[in-house]
Amino acid sequence: MFFSTLATLIIYGDLLSVFTENTYYTPDFSRIPQVEYYDLNDSKGDKEGWRTGDRVVFCVPLRDAAQHLPRFFNLLSKMTYPHNQIDLTFLVSDSKDDTLGCLKDELNKLQQNKDKTKRFGNIEIYEKDFGQVIGQSFSDRHGFAAQGPRRKLMARARNWLGSVALKPYHSWVYWRDVDVEILPDTILEDLIHHDKDVIVPNVWRPLPDWLGNIQPYDLNSWKESEGGMQLADSLDEDAVIVEGYPEYATWRPHLAYMRDPSGDPEIEMELDGIGGVSIMAKAKVFRAGSHYPAFSFKKHAETEAFGKLSRTMGFSVVGLPNYVVWHIYEPSTDDLKYMEWMAEEEERINEENKIKEFYQKIWEIGFEDMRSSWEKDFHNILKNVDHTKLQNSNKLKFAVDWEDTADDYDHVLVENEITVGNDGSFDKSKSGEQLVEEQENTKKAQILAAQQNEE
Amino acid sequence: MPKYIYKKKTKNWLFFQNKQEDLIPQSHIAHYDLNTLHSTEDAALNKEQVLILTPMQTFHIEYWNNLLQLSYPRELIEIGFIIPRNKNGDETLKNLEREIKKIQTDKKESRFKKITILRQEQESDSFNALGEKDRHSLEVQKERRSKMALSRNQLLFSTIGPYTSWVLWMDADIVETPTSLIQDMTFHNKPVVSANVFQRYFNEDEKKDAIRPYDFNNWAESSLGLQLASKMGEDEIIVEGYAELATYRLLMAHSYKATDSPSETMELDGVGGGCTLVKAEVHRDGAMFPTFPFYHLIETEGFAKMAKRLGYAVYGLPNYLVYHIEE
Repeated sequence: MFFSTLATLIIYGDLLSVFTENTYYTPDFSRIPQVEYYDLNDSKGDKEGWRTGDRVVFCVPLRDAAQHLPRFFNLLSKMTYPHNQIDLTFLVSDSKDDTLGCLKDELNKLQQNKDKTKRFGNIEIYEKDFGQVIGQSFSDRHGFAAQGPRRKLMARARNWLGSVALKPYHSWVYWRDVDVEILPDTILEDLIHHDKDVIVPNVWRPLPDWLGNIQPYDLNSWKESEGGMQLADSLDEDAVIVEGYPEYATWRPHLAYMRDPSGDPEIEMELDGIGGVSIMAKAKVFRAGSHYPAFSFKKHAETEAFGKLSRTMGFSVVGLPNYVVWHIYEPSTDDLKYMEWMAEEEERINEENKIKEFYQKIWEIGFEDMRSSWEKDFHNILKNVDHTKLQNSNKLKFAVDWEDTADDYDHVLVENEITVGNDGSFDKSKSGEQLVEEQENTKKAQILAAQQNEE
Repeated sequence: MPKYIYKKKTKNWLFFQNKQEDLIPQSHIAHYDLNTLHSTEDAALNKEQVLILTPMQTFHIEYWNNLLQLSYPRELIEIGFIIPRNKNGDETLKNLEREIKKIQTDKKESRFKKITILRQEQESDSFNALGEKDRHSLEVQKERRSKMALSRNQLLFSTIGPYTSWVLWMDADIVETPTSLIQDMTFHNKPVVSANVFQRYFNEDEKKDAIRPYDFNNWAESSLGLQLASKMGEDEIIVEGYAELATYRLLMAHSYKATDSPSETMELDGVGGGCTLVKAEVHRDGAMFPTFPFYHLIETEGFAKMAKRLGYAVYGLPNYLVYHIEE
């Protein structure tokens, strides 16, 4: 009885939704060439999108990324979200390596999967060069001065990709950096089921042991603070605040530092600025015009400004402090220097050990080991020494009593005064220093006399 | 992490598949080089594609006929419409459907390269173009223009494609333009260029046909306008046509001289959406129509400001007239 009532309710509810949702006219262009009709209500984004056929467009900006692609595609192929509901789009820009070639190889491999359900939907590769204002090494990219122009350039690249990639039938847009090391296979579902307009996970990176194991990586996800607002007001119109640099102290709470490793991964935190490593957004956010400002918007650019802009436009922007994806470890120039030093040091120690070994051999051959016989000789040599006296004075200082020999030597001393000390008969009334001084003075006098003689 | 159920569900099981059939080719890898994309003064000669975008609340056959008389090659024209989600929109859609079917089933040369029609997501998004007679309070104006901006963005970011060189914003109530409109406007080769929108009417006093300026959103900033803005709260906007908001801006509508060359240009700071041509790269870089007060500007005027923030110059053609429908 109860179940049948429930069933009726469900049917009724569904009928109701039919009447309320489908009361609007739908044209039929199915047989008309080059005409497409889309109801944006069909792609508003469901929190169980994988069940309702929601299409996700995966947007990946690439630059000199060939080395990262195998890892990226490995992660991609393991994703649990229905692959045929995922469209892949890439923007290859300003690459000196063979990013494009590697990308095509990987994509061909991906789409030739024997299991057709593992193949992805529509795939688009875009090429567009923007010219680089700065180099691509970690420190070039992360140095303070480079941040403003660099962010604006990256923002342009993202916008070029986003605006062509987004189609009217997409419900979700997922932005991913290529250099992510580890993330859950359910990443799309994990982010989508929160049903937020814009959502980001926490991004950390593993570190080598000598750097302390792990570290928060993405400091671009933060909540605005009083200090941040004051700083923004003090800067000129085109300035770009970047987080994680001592030059711009904002005292903002960062998503990265809010992590509790044993905390609930479902916990959400409201954000104002976000980082770009892994962004899930409802497609409607981009359709409404939110994007990655390539100019200073409220003193920010790119992903951080995307957060601010989306908030300004009334969208929810949320981070997950306890849900972490792992960025690859990429050493900074300082790290590289340190690593170089460590490598040199290791080589030096190796070299040193080799030399030691060599000397060891030489010594073994060249010198007879007398240590065992010395043990015996030692006792013989010192057997006449009064050990008690040695111990009393506590140092190896020998005093010899010449008293009874004074008569034998006294006349010599008188005859030849220069020999003072040579026979060990130091004048006890004088200190050592005085004696040394006397000796030096005599020497000087002799040298002086010798020089005068020559003249 | 929660465990997920992957069993398909439908929004309503009476219509098993509610969604549009996928138009996506299986295992298809497309490759586009956007470096080869150009927008030049010889647009037609260089086969540059133009995307005409029109948010359409009401279908006017005069608009449609004007569109059909444009001489730019149709195989280089894509058109996008967005229609509000309301009963009014149903009417518009039916009219549009009828006319589109006529033209797209006609002989191949007369077909447009592509036409995309979007229906807005929500009833509450519904926009309606501001008529000259129904200027309401500032607050109402702000809300309506915000919705107009939203519809423009939805349309733009759903239709701009890898081959789009130019975007021509043409309002649904523009009913008369020169046939060479696209060639004329692309020839100026400017990032953003706006035609002067006028209106034909019958002058009762003089008992004869006459024209009058219609769109006051094309303007060059004045120091008074800037002063006004600097004193405003962050959420307030400046719009033209309110006595209490006298800006003394130089309005393009008032700069028209019948005797001067139609190819004359003037630099602008704000534009309207009546008939405005934009290089696709400006939009691709991110210039959109702010749905919120952006430097106290909103919608098309905010767009001009954003384009300028991105380093693009904005121009108007004071003597190049297009006409708004008579109400």
